[in-house]
Amino acid sequence: MPKNKIARKPTTIDMTAMCDVAFLLLTFFMLTAKMKQEEPVKITTPTSIAEVKLEKDILTMTVDPKGRIFLSMDNHNYRQGLIARMNEQKQLDLTDKEMATFANTEAGFGVPLSKMKSYWGLPTRDRERYMAETADAGIPCDSTTNELSEWVLQARYAAAEVNPTAPLRFVIKADQNTEYEVIARIVQTLQDQKINRFNLITGLENDPNKKEGEE
Amino acid sequence: MAEISSEGGNKKHSGKVKGKKMSTRVDLTPMVDLGFLLITFFMLTTTLNKPSAMELNVPVKEKETVDPPPMKEGKVLTLLLDKNDKIYWYVGLSEAKLDSTDYSPEGVRKLLIDQRDRVARDYAQDSLRDVVVLLKPSNKSRYKNMVDILDEIHITEIKRYALLGISKAEEDYIKQPNAKLNDLMLKYAN
Repeated sequence: MPKNKIARKPTTIDMTAMCDVAFLLLTFFMLTAKMKQEEPVKITTPTSIAEVKLEKDILTMTVDPKGRIFLSMDNHNYRQGLIARMNEQKQLDLTDKEMATFANTEAGFGVPLSKMKSYWGLPTRDRERYMAETADAGIPCDSTTNELSEWVLQARYAAAEVNPTAPLRFVIKADQNTEYEVIARIVQTLQDQKINRFNLITGLENDPNKKEGEE
Repeated sequence: MAEISSEGGNKKHSGKVKGKKMSTRVDLTPMVDLGFLLITFFMLTTTLNKPSAMELNVPVKEKETVDPPPMKEGKVLTLLLDKNDKIYWYVGLSEAKLDSTDYSPEGVRKLLIDQRDRVARDYAQDSLRDVVVLLKPSNKSRYKNMVDILDEIHITEIKRYALLGISKAEEDYIKQPNAKLNDLMLKYAN
């Protein structure tokens, strides 16, 4: 009926507040999170109750389920030292540009020494594809050729040059389904160099001993 | 609809060219979309938690094989990890009987707890009444198997353990559980 017309209320909602919340969340994430490390290959680590957090300035050996080994170091100066030493010791004939690419790549790499020269000449996308697809990528570590041992030794020297007081820490990041044989050989290689303490990266698991809310 | 309006209410187009009053409302919906897109991007590409790490200490490799200190057989529990997530175990050496268990809490965790308590009870008079666990993964076992057992050892608070390689005698023992382990070891000792 015309007399009792219902007053039309506006149906628009003021979204200014929503916009503020969105940008606040965004700022929070930008300031508190760190960019994910590029991994050479996707790894699913096993879980454990260990809660010790990982440190900095370490050498990480990433092992994929096929047993290929990739090396990475998070310290830029260590990487620079390492490639300079390896270039000299093994006569890899790398140009300065290739060595600079190595030093600037934080993600791991895994190439036999014979392929080092050709690998570091490739652009980034090709390098990533090489590592993902080539079956014999990875640093060899078997009874006939153990190049991993060389890398580890030179890495320790390189780290000692930069930081003589803190010895290089070693970390193994292996997939759940990696055959134990590969791990045993890596551990053997480290033991031969008198490295007896290292860390294994694991996902977080609830400790059945701890009750809820206990520290 | 999102909007900032300098004045409320609708303003219709009045007339043609002159005196055209444009509305000053700004629709903020795309701004909000953009904000949430950026949030999603950052949520997916960054990580808030650092990966956790488990410590592993291995014994120092001596140049000459040093005989391990003699210890009472009953205190030693040997775990053999085989492929397909199988665990075989035996206690001691001369009277060893092979048994098997699995990775569930009722399996290996219960075994570790039982053995730990048994050794603590049976050897209560000794100065060292902890069980010693020898972990021997075979080459065909998965990395996950080794990490899970090390984890169980930490959970059951067993302090003395060693990570060793499996021997040929033990691999045979798994295939012939009724054989005497001592005989198999002697066979390979020459």
